[in-house]
Amino acid sequence: MKKNSDLLSKLLQKFSSMLPWSVALICMPLIQTSYASEPQPWQWNFQPPATPVMEQIIDFHNLMFFVEVGIVLLVLGLMVYIVVKFNSKANPKPTKTTHNTTLEVLWTVIPIVILIIFAVPSMKLLFFMEKAQNPEMTLKVTGNQWYWSYQYPDNGNFEFDSNIIPDEDIKPGQRRLLEVDNQVVLPVNTEIKVLLTARDVMHNWAVPAFGIKIDTIPGRINETWMKVTKIGTYYGQCSELCGVAHSRMPISVKVVSKEDFKKWLKKAKSEFASSDNNKMLKLAQLKK
Amino acid sequence: MSNITHDHHDHRPSGWKRWAYSTNHKDIGTMYLVLSMFAAIIGGAASMLMRAELHEPGIQFITDPQFYNVLVTAHGFIMVFFVVMPALIGGFGNWFIPLMIGTPDMAFPRMNNVSFWLVAAALILLVIAGFIDGGAGTGWTVYPPLSSADYHPGMAVDFGILALHLAGASSILGAINFITTIINMRAPGMTFHRMPLFIWAMLLTAFLLLLAIPVLAGALTMLLTDRNFGTAFFAPDGGGDPVLWQHLFWFFGHPEVYIMILPAFGIISEIVSTFSKKPIFGYLGMAYAMTSIGVVGFVVWAHHMYTMGFNVETRAYFTLATMVIAVPTGIKIFSWLATMWGGSIKFDTPMLYSMGFIFLFVVGGVTGVTLANAGVDMAFHDTYFVVAHFHYVLSISALFSMYAGFYYWFGKMSGKRYPEWLGRLQFWVTFVGVNLLFFPQHFAGMAGMPRRIIDYPDAYAGWNMISSWGAYISAVGGILFFVVLYKTLTSNVKAEANEWGVGATTLEWTVDSPAPFHTHEVTPNIIPEPAE
Amino acid sequence: MELKKQKSTTRVGDGVVNMRKKSSRNGLTAVVLGFLVFSMIGLAYASEPLYRIFCQVTGYGGTTRIAVFDNKGLVAKNSITVRFDANVNKLLPWRFKPMQNKITLRPGEQAIAFYEATNVSDKPIVGTAVFNVAPFKVGEYFNKIECFCFTEQILLPGQTVQMPVTFFVDSSIAEDRNTKEVSTITLSYTFYASDDQSEVENLSRTSLEIKKSVDSLRRTQIIQPG
Repeated sequence: MKKNSDLLSKLLQKFSSMLPWSVALICMPLIQTSYASEPQPWQWNFQPPATPVMEQIIDFHNLMFFVEVGIVLLVLGLMVYIVVKFNSKANPKPTKTTHNTTLEVLWTVIPIVILIIFAVPSMKLLFFMEKAQNPEMTLKVTGNQWYWSYQYPDNGNFEFDSNIIPDEDIKPGQRRLLEVDNQVVLPVNTEIKVLLTARDVMHNWAVPAFGIKIDTIPGRINETWMKVTKIGTYYGQCSELCGVAHSRMPISVKVVSKEDFKKWLKKAKSEFASSDNNKMLKLAQLKK
Repeated sequence: MSNITHDHHDHRPSGWKRWAYSTNHKDIGTMYLVLSMFAAIIGGAASMLMRAELHEPGIQFITDPQFYNVLVTAHGFIMVFFVVMPALIGGFGNWFIPLMIGTPDMAFPRMNNVSFWLVAAALILLVIAGFIDGGAGTGWTVYPPLSSADYHPGMAVDFGILALHLAGASSILGAINFITTIINMRAPGMTFHRMPLFIWAMLLTAFLLLLAIPVLAGALTMLLTDRNFGTAFFAPDGGGDPVLWQHLFWFFGHPEVYIMILPAFGIISEIVSTFSKKPIFGYLGMAYAMTSIGVVGFVVWAHHMYTMGFNVETRAYFTLATMVIAVPTGIKIFSWLATMWGGSIKFDTPMLYSMGFIFLFVVGGVTGVTLANAGVDMAFHDTYFVVAHFHYVLSISALFSMYAGFYYWFGKMSGKRYPEWLGRLQFWVTFVGVNLLFFPQHFAGMAGMPRRIIDYPDAYAGWNMISSWGAYISAVGGILFFVVLYKTLTSNVKAEANEWGVGATTLEWTVDSPAPFHTHEVTPNIIPEPAE
Repeated sequence: MELKKQKSTTRVGDGVVNMRKKSSRNGLTAVVLGFLVFSMIGLAYASEPLYRIFCQVTGYGGTTRIAVFDNKGLVAKNSITVRFDANVNKLLPWRFKPMQNKITLRPGEQAIAFYEATNVSDKPIVGTAVFNVAPFKVGEYFNKIECFCFTEQILLPGQTVQMPVTFFVDSSIAEDRNTKEVSTITLSYTFYASDDQSEVENLSRTSLEIKKSVDSLRRTQIIQPG
């Protein structure tokens, strides 16, 4: 119970200090000004796409969005009309209509047609995401509590961990909760096979700008592919509840030109331990 | 004959025994409603704490991130199992099924009592679970391996499992009770196609409960034995698979959300018909729309698992099957609108909430169509877009139906009339609050904000702040509800037997307000009105 | 349809009598419903073997097959690359890696690959490996003839073993519309500490006996350390 009264006083303190923050935020510009590979304040749309998959996701979503907004506005319009025309003062005598076959057929068939209109691009997108590629390299991603490890089996078979840069070490210009010590470096315009697994509990590797989001499940390898078409740095966050630091295991991918990638590989091979002698193994207690 | 009723009244218990040993559907319904309100305060408090923490980036006052995850978990369980279900099914279901079908009580009145006290015990166990051994910080989905003994040692998850077993048993017994009552005990002349739509909704809900909850029970037992008795259903090191839990949980979990919304559909149908002073448009279509929603709801579970990594053909199937549900749902929305069309509507509080329900359920429903598509779900899975979607259909729509049912039926239950101006105020405050709370979450999700995080990158601050203010306003709406409750109970204004006039054509409006302890001791005969 | 309550021909108390008359029918209904409940619980428990059989038959989720190698001489034209992936669960203090990154072979041909595991702790441990292939759709074509994953492995402290897996990719992979364009298959293992560590006790007993006989041998003969 002591915890609760601590909570309560902290709550009250926070409330009184929140006011200036709130005012500041409201005054911030409401229009998104620049495209970047990270979330922007007041962003209400997807992060700009950096892969053909994400471009297709956005296109398909836009189709659905406009139709759905239309449906919502239609229902709203009908309800406004009802309020105006059929309130008890405007219409004292109710009708007895309980059937209208035409209407019933229309509002069954038209939604079916709309769903078919959605289903076609939906299936196209799904199968495009699945299309077997000719990957030029492989990236292996492993989820841990609470960091990611990356292995490059085709390019020197080295492995490294990617830990969050904690709040207290964040420098100005860096993004809190998104920066890591070792980024994943990948070449642009290259088809990459991604293998994913986890070492302890379920995690999920996600990069919004890529349109990638796959569960990493212990005891199982998942596979997907990606091809990033824009040089830049891209951020994502773990997307499956994995314990106390679930909010603190970000993903940071640096996509560089193919030449820069080769240069980085050389450095990385010597800097990062070979997968053969990898990781500090903690002598964990056995379950029994 | 008169001897029987006389004896009946002589043996009616009073004091605490009236409630502890109750076999009266009205009293049991009342207890469920009280439990639901009590649990709403606890579950609501959990969400207020979370929204206060998320009001700004950085850690505000929850210094133990496990406690945040425990709040996430507790909020989910409490709202689903101890607020929505007890209110709609245990509360309004128990109160109005016998009244509407013309029978004195449920088929198994004593089992009805057992059902209630199981839920009460379950709630206590669940709250305890939050405070022992660090609590269960797994989310209401309880995925292993996070929920296994390796990563959640101690008894918290086990207490939670036990609590859910009790709640599940309660629901199964209740479902048997409801189905038996509705199938066997309708008054003569009330065929299936003359039942009020609320009864249809409750019958379908009970069938969903009957078939879905046992699967949850099985899964929970498997998790319990994995954690404590050396089995390996979900543990790869024993030959098991964490993915099996997901299949079992969501096979229950998806019908569960229809269990929560079907009673709401029933309540809204009654209110819309009553207030429009017209019968429901397309009665058969409504009944069979609800039936198909319930049936199809059993074969779409894997849309909660799209990113798990199963093959594309299966994802394609689940996408299409999930989208199919939009068709019967659309039939319902348009039928409600068509019912109102040509009606003579007084927009009292129950009708306000029903209008709010219809509109906001459409908003929640269309985001559901977006999410149904496995391709697009790659962008949305486990983001706040999903949180926005399900809160629109639950925390707004189901909640609105609970409020609507309260304002519609409270006069019948208590014999007192609520102050209309206060009801409307409570509606508008709540309406503004919940929309401010959940609409910005769509944007946060599109921008990439993940779920179940105690702290977020600074860019998401704007929408989170608005959402938190919406939460505080909703809380004021909740407090106002209790003010309405208090003011009504302490007022002297009596409610009529039929508060709502010619539009109210179901049988509960033929008995006194408050409904006597025993009703329908004379079985009504139902005859249809001659066609015009 | 509107319902109208007609003046009733039944009497006060009939409602209660009505309830009593219905009680046997209610009981039957309840029994039927209860049966449904238990069936669904049974279905939940049956899900595990049912899913397993389904996966084995269809190769779903990258479930591989166990097969006896039957070289009918059917070998596909185009080669396929099989790459090898290794993972260790956090709670198992072993190092585990494939000894070759990949092998290129033609579907229908048999091959053998090796994995190496080292117990870096100070206790003997029994390990068990789970596995799957990616992409999942090739699971039904991936056949293992011999595999270390078929049995549990016990490693003494500091011990390193090389473990073989003999496999082939069924040649009909090239004829399946779904899989014929697959050029790379990943075979992935994850080692866990076995649920059942009882072999360790047997080992201790055995090694104790061996130690006893070695000691007695030492007393009678000089045994040079190797």
